[in-house]
Amino acid sequence: MINNPSHPKKGHLKSKDCRFTKAGVEYIDYKQTDVLERFVNDQGKILPRRVTGTSARHQRQLSTAVKRARFLALIPYVTENMR
Amino acid sequence: MKKDFYEMTYILNPVLDEEKFSELVSFVNKLIENNGGDIVEVDEWGVKKLAYDIDKKSTGYYVNLYFNAPAEAIAVVERNMRINDDIMRYLTLKYDAKMLRYYDLKKKGDLPVVFEEVESESETEDDN
Repeated sequence: MINNPSHPKKGHLKSKDCRFTKAGVEYIDYKQTDVLERFVNDQGKILPRRVTGTSARHQRQLSTAVKRARFLALIPYVTENMR
Repeated sequence: MKKDFYEMTYILNPVLDEEKFSELVSFVNKLIENNGGDIVEVDEWGVKKLAYDIDKKSTGYYVNLYFNAPAEAIAVVERNMRINDDIMRYLTLKYDAKMLRYYDLKKKGDLPVVFEEVESESETEDDN
């Protein structure tokens, strides 16, 4: 808990629940690119759990699925967006 | 001899013509069958755009297949695929119980939907 009163996130308790546990997913397949893309930021990096709120078990499955999809060029390793 | 369930996805060089694709696909299928495996399902995704260039090519012919095979067959199949330079990349996965249940669900078509799309198809919230 953040008990430093001046911290901006003090009392910030909104906990995101894991979308995979909610949907009852048991295995995240690397071919579901439309699902994987939602857990990857615009540079192609895997989003951390604190942002997506995914459970640890599903985050591990998600990262292996993303890495397999990257290997098969289904999703890019890095997307250079023209800054 | 004990057989395990495998999934393999591989990418073929896109510049080949149609019958060369089917020839290569049957080449891989024969390879698996000769080594004591049997093909459950072959699903060709056709020429798709690659997310990044693989040896100077931006598209590839994807083939995804599921098969049962003894463990020793995999090394032989992969070695032959490595020799053939029209097969750009391949990924073989052994399916464990969890993945098998996922595969059966996919066959039945009632996969748990993680993000329901905008068109509101009936949200089957079954947790298996």
